[in-house]
Amino acid sequence: MALLTLDRVSVAYDNQTILKDFQLELEKGKLLSLLGPSGCGKTTTLRLIAGFLEATQGKFMFGGKDYTKVPVNKRNFGFVFQSYALFPHLSVYDNVAFGLRMRKVKDKDISARVMRILEVVNLNGFEKRFPQELSGGQRQRVAIARALVIEPDLLLFDEPLSNLDANLRLNMRVEIRRIQQELGITTLYVSHDQEECFSISDQVAIMNKGVVEQLDRPETIFKYPATEFVAQFIGFHNFIEFAERSDAGDRISLKAGGRLFTATAHPGTARPGARKGAIRPDDLIVSGDTSADLANALPGIVKVSTYLGRSYQYVIETELGDFTANQEMETPYLSGQRVSLIFPQDKLVLVE
Amino acid sequence: MKKSVIYWLLLPGFVFLAAFMIIPIVLTIGSTFFQENSFTFEGYMHFFRDPYFLKILLTTLQVSVVTTLVCVVLGFPTAYYISQKAPRRKGILLALAIFPLLTSPVVRSFSWMIILGRKGLINNALVGLGIVDKPLDILYTPAAMMIGLTHLFLPLMIISLVGVLENIDNDLLKAAQSLGASRITAFRRVVFPLAVPGLVIGAVLVFVGSLTAYTTPALLGGKQRVIATFLYQNAMTLNDWYLASVVAAIMIVITFVVVGVMNKMAKTLNPKG
Amino acid sequence: MREKHIGLGLFSLLVFIFLLGPLLIISVTSFEPGTVLKFPPEGFSFRWYENIFNTGGFLRTFQTSIIISLLGNLLALLLGVPAAYALSRYDFKGKSVLNALFLSPVLIPGIVLGFTLMKYLIVIYHLPMYLGLLIGHTIIMLPFIIRVIASSLSSFDFAVEEAALSLGAGRVRTFFQIVLPNIRSGILAAVLIAFLESFNNVDISVFMTGPGVSTLPIQMLTYVENYFDPTIAAISVLLMVLTGLLMFVIERIMGGFSYFTKR
Repeated sequence: MALLTLDRVSVAYDNQTILKDFQLELEKGKLLSLLGPSGCGKTTTLRLIAGFLEATQGKFMFGGKDYTKVPVNKRNFGFVFQSYALFPHLSVYDNVAFGLRMRKVKDKDISARVMRILEVVNLNGFEKRFPQELSGGQRQRVAIARALVIEPDLLLFDEPLSNLDANLRLNMRVEIRRIQQELGITTLYVSHDQEECFSISDQVAIMNKGVVEQLDRPETIFKYPATEFVAQFIGFHNFIEFAERSDAGDRISLKAGGRLFTATAHPGTARPGARKGAIRPDDLIVSGDTSADLANALPGIVKVSTYLGRSYQYVIETELGDFTANQEMETPYLSGQRVSLIFPQDKLVLVE
Repeated sequence: MKKSVIYWLLLPGFVFLAAFMIIPIVLTIGSTFFQENSFTFEGYMHFFRDPYFLKILLTTLQVSVVTTLVCVVLGFPTAYYISQKAPRRKGILLALAIFPLLTSPVVRSFSWMIILGRKGLINNALVGLGIVDKPLDILYTPAAMMIGLTHLFLPLMIISLVGVLENIDNDLLKAAQSLGASRITAFRRVVFPLAVPGLVIGAVLVFVGSLTAYTTPALLGGKQRVIATFLYQNAMTLNDWYLASVVAAIMIVITFVVVGVMNKMAKTLNPKG
Repeated sequence: MREKHIGLGLFSLLVFIFLLGPLLIISVTSFEPGTVLKFPPEGFSFRWYENIFNTGGFLRTFQTSIIISLLGNLLALLLGVPAAYALSRYDFKGKSVLNALFLSPVLIPGIVLGFTLMKYLIVIYHLPMYLGLLIGHTIIMLPFIIRVIASSLSSFDFAVEEAALSLGAGRVRTFFQIVLPNIRSGILAAVLIAFLESFNNVDISVFMTGPGVSTLPIQMLTYVENYFDPTIAAISVLLMVLTGLLMFVIERIMGGFSYFTKR
């Protein structure tokens, strides 16, 4: 049973509807990321769960109880802000101890718990410092410590790493995942960085315009996107609109522009009726062989050829549109050259 | 929930101002339209037809206009000078300019009484140097009020302008010069136009302030009345409250009209806001 | 551009002399030993400073001024701090109107305000004069309090407030323990600026003067109308010293006077 459920939730702000009939479930002990472009509603969802926003409709169930109307300060969720939101006038110790003091924990216990959590985030010795004296990474860890020390039922992250430099971001996300798994704490993580979400999550929900387009394990999404938006988001830049589709066992026959294509049956092609084909630029094969009877192939002309370092990137013009293909080769094809664009059967995905 | 909390926070202040400021003012203005229980403009007619009252209005306007002009002429170059200084010097100069602003108007006007009186500094110097035979009457004239008011409001003008001039990017002048303009032309065509909105705001503040000033005209004006001292005289000395209310209403209307015009002008002059 | 503008510098010097000269003159005249105000003074004496304590109820009115300005300040804080918070933190219908309303006392001619207050509060509603004085001064201090505090709050990261809530603190406790301590210097600056405005005010106080109730500036005005001796000069000097001290404190707190030049 899911620990957290958002049931048909709607959120509107300033006469704009951000979430409508929104559904989400989260299981205990798991780290779920909400990933998507700005404006997709991921932060709104997070803030709704935290209690900073109210839903106009729907229910928020947590641990079997109706949390929809429970005020923020009674929810016992830890929230880590993008700007860290440390209390500037309090020391690191007092910052971290704040939640415990609100819960009327005894001073002796506060001390033990604060020192322990500072060790978990590698900040022992910093108790007496003030936020202004800390670096970005250190402030981030104080923010995490402050949210963790209260032993929250749920941990919420709002793009916690976007203000850090690239190196730090890599190190910190590993830290966050480590801590989360060690403590087994249920976590909801919001970010617009795909790599970040994919590397640390048990599950990722890709959101677009207030709707979850796909919720799956990262590997599944990466290999088998479900919708055009998700495919586009994770790097499937090529699309073919197939006019007909017929499934026969472990093969799927497709027709586009009078040509026959075959795709292997796998989780990425399992959606019945989905007729839009998607494939990554890296998976397309550009061949100099222009013979007419190549399987799963389209004749085309090279429009643009760019050197990327590891490979060459081609934009190839065909009767079904332009396609982007990346290929490692010594001598590149030239602009205007006739080539064949081959769509490997097992690399084609069918999306909605 | 959230929304209602906001209004509770604003309520005490709102009620206070409504009860003790808005309502009394509205009632005062309203009362000017009623004489012997009938609605009438008679009070205003009376005021505007009487040459004595008109003279007071005219004197007040005269004094205010001259004060404003002098403040602009003296204030703009000074403010420009200050705005170009390095932060340390600028801070000291600003403090020196602000200091008079925070001193009591009684003190400031009083100091001019010493300077402008018959036995004051200026007359002593003039007589002593033989420029005149007997002391001039400078005090208790409109001129004295102008001097006093200029002294009163010049810091305000300077500070308004420094704020605006600080925001003008210094590179703009250099850009203009690199395109062929002389220093003066660059200033005239680039800096000055950008400073005009601040200039207008400052001028309006000085103008309205001079128009409604009490202390300085009271001390330096002698028998010369301006509308503020006229209001006081009618209210406290002559006990003609009706007339005092009329004057008060006129002062409010003038103030709001001038400020309203300034707002409109500021918006059109500086679309950036 | 740090080029030397000699003509401009000279001009500015003259302007500063114009601004500060009279204040210097009045300071020097305060030491005149004779009974007539003259410049330059004929000698050096503190007698007029002593005279302050002997005459004209200066001490009494000084006390009244201090009490009114402090009490009014407190009242303005009680009314103004919540208003400033609401105006900075939230967007709501009628916000710009309310903003204009709270800042409007600055625009209304002081003399008009004083007159209407006297007419309605004192004469028609029979409020004691002291109360009328207090109300009038609170009204003029309110815009300063609100403007300075709203300015402090505009640079406050309200995410910090949300953090406190998420950790279990209630709204009121959050305000007092988290928001207030971080705008402490803003509040202090607001108090000092408002205090000076109120202490020096004439336009309102001149109407609320009666037997036993008067403020220092009004007392000074009355004195000057009857006596033209250096006592006023002496008081002026003391007041200027007080102003200077407060300015020094304000500058310490706010790190300069950029508040005055910011739009």
